[in-house]
Amino acid sequence: MFKGFLMFDFFKNTFAPRRNYSDCSGCSLCLLVCPVWRQHRDISLTPHGHAKALQNVNSAADVVASVENCTLCMACEPVCPENIDIIGMILDLRRQLAAPTWLHELQTRVNERATRPVAPAPSSSTMLLPDQALYAYPDILARIVALLRSVNISDDDGSDISLALESGAAIPEQRLQRFLTQLRQLKRIIVADGLLLRHLKQWLPNANIIGLGVALSGHAVVRRNLRATDLYVIEPRAYHADYQRLVKYYDRLRVAHGCAFNLDLQRIAIPATARNLPQRLGLAASNDDGQTHWMLHGRSITRIVVENLEERAALEKASGFPVVHLAELADDGVT
Amino acid sequence: MISETSELALTAPGTIGSCHVGPDALLGIKRQQTNPTRWNGQGWHPFAAALRDSGIELRENIAARGTFATDAGGTAYGLPHGVVIARSAAQVSSLLKAAQQFRVPVTVRGGGLTTEGESVAFGGVLLDMTGMSRVLHVDSDALTVRTEGGIFWHSLAEELRRHGMDYLSAPLNLTSSVGGTLGVGGIDVNSPRLGCSADQALSVQVVTPTGEIVECSDTQNAELFQRVILGYGQFGVITEATLKIRRYTPLRMHYFYYDSLRTAVEDMQLLNKNDASDYSGILTIMDCAVNLLVAFDSDEREAAFKANWQSRLRGHGEFGFALCMLRRYALRPWKIAEAWYLLQRKRELFPEFRRTEYMRDGLMYDRTVVFSHAVWKFWGSKQMVIPDLATSAEKFVAAVERGNAVCRKYFPHYTLYCVGIKLRAEHKPHYEMSCIPPDAEGWAYGCEFEPMMDDRVYSRDYLQSFKNAIYDIGVDLGGSYYRFGGMMKGYIRRVFGDEVVNRHLAMKREADPAMILNRDVIF
Repeated sequence: MFKGFLMFDFFKNTFAPRRNYSDCSGCSLCLLVCPVWRQHRDISLTPHGHAKALQNVNSAADVVASVENCTLCMACEPVCPENIDIIGMILDLRRQLAAPTWLHELQTRVNERATRPVAPAPSSSTMLLPDQALYAYPDILARIVALLRSVNISDDDGSDISLALESGAAIPEQRLQRFLTQLRQLKRIIVADGLLLRHLKQWLPNANIIGLGVALSGHAVVRRNLRATDLYVIEPRAYHADYQRLVKYYDRLRVAHGCAFNLDLQRIAIPATARNLPQRLGLAASNDDGQTHWMLHGRSITRIVVENLEERAALEKASGFPVVHLAELADDGVT
Repeated sequence: MISETSELALTAPGTIGSCHVGPDALLGIKRQQTNPTRWNGQGWHPFAAALRDSGIELRENIAARGTFATDAGGTAYGLPHGVVIARSAAQVSSLLKAAQQFRVPVTVRGGGLTTEGESVAFGGVLLDMTGMSRVLHVDSDALTVRTEGGIFWHSLAEELRRHGMDYLSAPLNLTSSVGGTLGVGGIDVNSPRLGCSADQALSVQVVTPTGEIVECSDTQNAELFQRVILGYGQFGVITEATLKIRRYTPLRMHYFYYDSLRTAVEDMQLLNKNDASDYSGILTIMDCAVNLLVAFDSDEREAAFKANWQSRLRGHGEFGFALCMLRRYALRPWKIAEAWYLLQRKRELFPEFRRTEYMRDGLMYDRTVVFSHAVWKFWGSKQMVIPDLATSAEKFVAAVERGNAVCRKYFPHYTLYCVGIKLRAEHKPHYEMSCIPPDAEGWAYGCEFEPMMDDRVYSRDYLQSFKNAIYDIGVDLGGSYYRFGGMMKGYIRRVFGDEVVNRHLAMKREADPAMILNRDVIF
């Protein structure tokens, strides 16, 4: 009987159906964590704004600015009391919007990738899917591979799929299945791209999928070099994609090592960058100063530790503190 | 009983007809506020042109207007002709001057947490104050903060925490705005000790309805300060505020459980009267499970409570209360559905208040986040109806018990939230014609009656009838009634009497000749 109750709670809490914009009660909790809100102070550019606009009178075409400005940091989802699939709906809206010219080029890339042969079976049961920023730092990527031991880097990292997800391009079913086929037999998949991680968890619900930050911070050689005066910058997308579990994980890390985190009072990760779709695609200049300033404001720290290399670049530019990647911490104790 | 025809008769802005509302009378329900007449748009185009000429961005597209079509209450819907995002006091001043000139209504919105359409524009311009939401200066030595008026309390708390500080008292809701709260009151579980949020304001910058930018406080332009604080936005737009702050401390929490509202209220009042706790409040699951929350800022205060007061409280611990409930429902098997509801509710609610990331060594960090998440998760819905009663300490038990009976009559499930409000004798002029009951001395007590919608859809008439029944208790007891965002226009003469209402109306007419600012909220 008691077990029955536990199972009831488990299913109720774990598989509560995601809701849509029509369920938005207008509480504005999403505003409080939205970097676009912090940048513009304009409700119409937030999840609250486009939910209310769509509820009351509008179509997707009326909320173009809001949909394009979203940085997909995913901070709004964990705080939404109505459990609205905010990110899923933004991505849907992006797919509905009229395709800009660059989308055609992207679509061609995705389609071309779909015709390539399936990648050979990995030699290890653990695979790392790096993001584009990691490829730009081969020494750090090599260090990560050494640290994680027995990890394969896939020839097919799914970066085109991630870009298609972000921009609203269609992902051919054939392409998706080719990508997933190589992952299905793995015991563990480590994903650097938080948006891809979110979707992989949906596509492969039974797979063991974790973010790169969690994989690295789980290593004793990394952990023991964390300092109480560090600001540990959690990669927001991966964190928010698995919030219920990771909020407790990082809280334990904080208790054990005493370092500060880029978390606000709602325990939501503050991103170091706030780049909308055109900025992420390199079609518009980005300015991360406001966001990095807010992250660092009022903190007494001596070093910044990042999980994500894109954020390292932004923080190096904005702060006078040394900024290191999590994998680099292992050097102090191992090499 | 009035006829349907006369019920729908239009009233000019600034006039208040006689009140026709009768308890439980659906036919006689007057809804001047939830369905006010839409402004006819006369003068809009020259007004819009004047704004643009002065460099103010006015949004007339449907997406911008639709964003603000309703408030948290979700029972009143209306579209403004245009939306302006507040960016500076000078911009707000230009807007109000033009609005006076062209007689265009201006509805001011902060967090939009009103429940009867007070922050919904039925035509005219909607002024979104959240565009002014920056902290301007934190003085950790003087324990003050200067902030823009449209800031959410939570955003203020985020900024203050970086300085190791906290606000004094604010609504247990992350998305109330500072300006909006100062205009209506704002209660916290430390209000029994520190008063309502509006009492924390040391000074405010106000843009008057005619566009003057005025700094006011108890010593500077005091009369305007008295009218703006707790004034329901009738006498100006709060663009900046200086508030008292304090050093941040986590809370030492204690919960006591009762099966009697009366006993719980009496124990809460005992604690307040004797300054035995730093925080106290009552949160219920219907009237069956009544939780008295008691909390402390320091070990010393907690120890003093344990030594002197804890044994006097008649509430149970969690285990003792479970036995109490077991006995109660074993003797009343026909109430098994109620028992099941309580059990389910407990299983949902308790983990939310004990999330490990907010609890450490028995201390609760960031109470507002914990409570506000719970409020929205378990009580929020697209329709929210939260009529409140405020009375003196002596009348409070009667108000709660009578209001509880009304809740039982109208809804299968509901929650009551009760809290004391320490009054400041020197702020008596602020309290006139506000939610603070005129006969309260020392403390006022407030109770929110919040039905659980349970995914049902109720008609506005039904909800209005419920509210009327609650408000009638306030009138009958000589107390006060209020709700998030205002007081229902049709009731104010019954509550305050003609003399007070006419005097305030005369002041309003003088301050706002075209009666453009927050029309229909009170006047």
